[in-house]
Amino acid sequence: MLTPTSPVESPYSRWPAGVKLALVAGLGMVIGALSHVALLAMALALVWLTFLPVGRAEAARLPLRLRPLWPFILVIGGWHILRGTPDVGLAVILRMLIMVAAATLLLLTTRFDALLATFSTLFRPFERLGLPVERIALALAMAVRFIPVLSQRAADLALAWRARSARNPRHRLLTPLALSALDEAERSAEALRARSASV
Amino acid sequence: MSEFSHGIELQFASVTLGGKPVLEDLTLRLTEARIGVLGRNGSGKTTLLRLMAGLIAPDRGQVRVDGVDPFRNRKATLAALGILFQNPDHQILFPTVEEELAFGLVQQGLTPEEAAGRVAALLVAEGRAHWAKVPVSTLSQGQRHYLCLMTVLLMQPRTILLDEPLAGLDLPTQARLARRFAALPQRLVTITHDPAVLAGADRVLWLEAGRIVADGPPGEVVPAFTAEMDLIGAQDADADLAG
Ligand SMILES: Nc1ncnc2c1ncn2[C@@H]1O[C@H](COP(=O)(O)OP(=O)(O)O)[C@@H](O)[C@H]1O
Ligand SMILES: [Mg+2]
Repeated sequence: MLTPTSPVESPYSRWPAGVKLALVAGLGMVIGALSHVALLAMALALVWLTFLPVGRAEAARLPLRLRPLWPFILVIGGWHILRGTPDVGLAVILRMLIMVAAATLLLLTTRFDALLATFSTLFRPFERLGLPVERIALALAMAVRFIPVLSQRAADLALAWRARSARNPRHRLLTPLALSALDEAERSAEALRARSASV
Repeated sequence: MSEFSHGIELQFASVTLGGKPVLEDLTLRLTEARIGVLGRNGSGKTTLLRLMAGLIAPDRGQVRVDGVDPFRNRKATLAALGILFQNPDHQILFPTVEEELAFGLVQQGLTPEEAAGRVAALLVAEGRAHWAKVPVSTLSQGQRHYLCLMTVLLMQPRTILLDEPLAGLDLPTQARLARRFAALPQRLVTITHDPAVLAGADRVLWLEAGRIVADGPPGEVVPAFTAEMDLIGAQDADADLAG
């Protein structure tokens, strides 16, 4: 698995991963309590502003990173318009965008080992219940690492399509993308097993 | 070397994949320092390597690496044996060189600080201190192969399994890597379809359709293999599907 993105050096890189995770969780609670669309839009703008210390290029790239969410926006928006509650729909969509943006910032500025260590610490209390903590932490951290790989793979597939077809691929790439994700998961599992005893 | 006392042992080991027997009743004891496994595409070489590394379990029979079951006893196996995949992109898990190098060490029980220290020391010793923060995706194919080798060496296994280690590399890179392999103190098991790679081996096994058809010094096995491959090459072997 060749991961296309690597942690960007920024002021946030020095913050402990646990603190960043807590901030994202706290943000989730705050916006969960807000239902006013204008306030939520402001919160989204604020989260976007917090990208600036990482670099203007990263801030400018955020809309691109959020673009894969369009099917969810369509479904949620459509459902609420049909029910005659467009305000509620807009609030739900804004909350989703805020959380994905915040999580993106966290991933951009946090190394894998720091994330892994934080997940391990977080689940440590459950170890006494017989939970395989190392394993769960590794699985979660790997799942998170997988996200940029998948979006890169989607872009590669679209290129391969365009090299041989004049038509727009749209949904036709979903099946090859899913298959390639499964392949990737299998290969990564093997690569992990070759170096870790907890898999 | 006394660490070679055990080696890799297979007893009547068989592997079936997707309902098709890929390895059949292999019984082997590998104790030499330089071992080659020769076979054409689809003969089961990679599957044999996976089996020896404990990445898969045999359907029947037994596998032992330095006395332990490599599939069940992962901790001991990680100390005993490292594996270099054919495609480095299937082996590399992390975005930067230092993260990739440190991962295995932490999995072996080092603290992240100790691991970082060992990684930094290795990169300095290899004259590649500037690689630490480099995104792996910017390395060339040869450099990725080299990174994977460093990753394995850091974990200090007694045996290293190499899957087609020189395939797809340019000639200077091949020569450099080959020299590096030759100098390693570890036991090496090299699998390849290219007999030239095995010139310096102590022992060569020829694998065909999941069975060993020849086993001996390279001077014996390689000429027989080459003659057979020339014969097959004269026919239209490519039309057959491996599956
Ligand atoms: N996961 C799998 N499922 C089904 N068949 C497989 C699988 N992996 C390998 N094979 C088959 O097993 C045979 C040996 O494969 P492999 O060990 O990769 O050969 P080699 O490395 O010598 O080219 C091939 O015929 C291949 O098609
Ligand atoms: Mg192979």
